[in-house]
Amino acid sequence: MLLNSPSVEQLIEAFRRLPGVGKRSAERMAIHLLSEPEEVAAEFAQAVHVARSRIVHCGVCRNLAESDPCSVCADERRDHSVVCVVEQPTGAMAIEKGGSYNGTYHVLHGVLNPLDGVGPQELHLDSFFERLQRDGVREIIVATNATAEGEATAMYLSRQLAQSEIQVTRIAHGVPMGGGLEFADDVTLSHAMQGRTKID
Amino acid sequence: MDITRFKCTAFRCLSDVDISPSPAFNVIYGGNAQGKTSLLEAILFATTSKSHRTTQESDLVGHGGEGFQIHLDVHRQDRTIQLDANMYRGAKRFKVNGIAQSRVSDILGKINTVFFSPEDITLVKGSASQRRKFLDMELSQLHAPYLMALQQYRQVLRQRNELLRRNQADPAMLEIWEEQLAQHGGLLIEHRHEFIEELTPLAVEAYHGIAGAETLTLQYLADIGPSDDFVGVLAKARQTDIRRKVTTRGPHRDDIEFMIDGQPARSKASQGQQKSAALALKLAELEWVKQRVGEYPVLMLDEVLAELDPERSQQLFKAIPHEVQCIITTTQPQLDDLLQDRPVMVFQIEQGKVTAT
Ligand SMILES: [Zn+2]
Repeated sequence: MLLNSPSVEQLIEAFRRLPGVGKRSAERMAIHLLSEPEEVAAEFAQAVHVARSRIVHCGVCRNLAESDPCSVCADERRDHSVVCVVEQPTGAMAIEKGGSYNGTYHVLHGVLNPLDGVGPQELHLDSFFERLQRDGVREIIVATNATAEGEATAMYLSRQLAQSEIQVTRIAHGVPMGGGLEFADDVTLSHAMQGRTKID
Repeated sequence: MDITRFKCTAFRCLSDVDISPSPAFNVIYGGNAQGKTSLLEAILFATTSKSHRTTQESDLVGHGGEGFQIHLDVHRQDRTIQLDANMYRGAKRFKVNGIAQSRVSDILGKINTVFFSPEDITLVKGSASQRRKFLDMELSQLHAPYLMALQQYRQVLRQRNELLRRNQADPAMLEIWEEQLAQHGGLLIEHRHEFIEELTPLAVEAYHGIAGAETLTLQYLADIGPSDDFVGVLAKARQTDIRRKVTTRGPHRDDIEFMIDGQPARSKASQGQQKSAALALKLAELEWVKQRVGEYPVLMLDEVLAELDPERSQQLFKAIPHEVQCIITTTQPQLDDLLQDRPVMVFQIEQGKVTAT
């Protein structure tokens, strides 16, 4: 360890919990913050604190939002009978940027992943199915990532809703194999939304 | 194709190596634990991104270092290729002609290799997992889609097995993984089937060359056949799987059966016959790659002479076509009677240092 200081170690650990950050990057970030003038660190901490205190989970779609319900769920002009299911808020952000989607979202905050101990309960799927009934949804578009777990989650949703009136479709084209939605460009995503297919 | 230059630093005990092998025979000789196998391992790693000896990649880094570098110049019929494989602080990086590659599938097949080690001599009598590994290694090198399907299949299998292991396996939860198993597994089966169909006549011929009148046949024992209803088989196996807490059906249970004169080679053949069959398989592989890509792969023989009797060693050397670049490691530098008049370059390896002699 660089400084042999418990508080620095704690900061490095905090960075390491962020997605995609390894030990070395975490050390670089921590040391960078500590080397800058004190205000920089204070601003950083403040920004995290303020954003977190203003952000809630939307009670309808579970997306991160500044209000509950979120601006999408509260928007009367959007088509509330269509719900796009994404793994993470970043997926919803990417599709919003695409601009061609006018339905609503549902954020799972994960996918079915037995190895990580994530099952239907952990994803709160019961309350998702309740929402679909309550809001009279007629179509869900499953936009989970094209990974083994994303595909299995899509399959699970399709099987669970097979007896219902709700049509389950899956975005298909253009999403990179094994890749996350946030890495797809706008054109690709817009194409993927149009090329969605029914899961049988 | 052949390797015209091989350089590496800090790969296992190979501190600093820079050699220019001949396009024909290359003998790397030295005592035990001097780095002979590591040299072949470095070539394998640069061409396949994997080691044949370890899955713990930190093992590959030389003592006390933070990483290693491997560089290969490769000469092919129509082009030359430079390959770089580096590891630094746990991160692997690959370059082809100086350009960074992000996917393993982009480096595979840039140069084809056939690797023959003492473990391969037990290919015929060893466990089915060894034969599946053989199939996977060969097919991954030549078909990027095979490798992708293999990785996906393994991941889905791990997930389904985890459900079974945790006793959380109700049939509905198992089912959602099965379509993907069928999709990726089906592709594996299709390619394995085709591969063995193509390899069989080549292996039969090679075995005749080694063992004379006896006839070798091989048969693909697919746990789920190419024309079976994969999803249906999995659905039917669910109750068994739940009881046994593991996925019992699929290409992860495949095998290859070798028969010599109609008898199963694993149980009925002599050790000599088994070795000849394994040799024939490797020689068939050389020809198969040639058929596929239009030129012979690089042949690497790791200490196989210690395992083969003089007669079989003779036959092996005789059967290697003259156009093949061969890199052979051995503890005995006297190979004259085996090599006959073939041009050869000899390298001595001692404590990780390689010198041309
Ligand atoms: Zn909402």
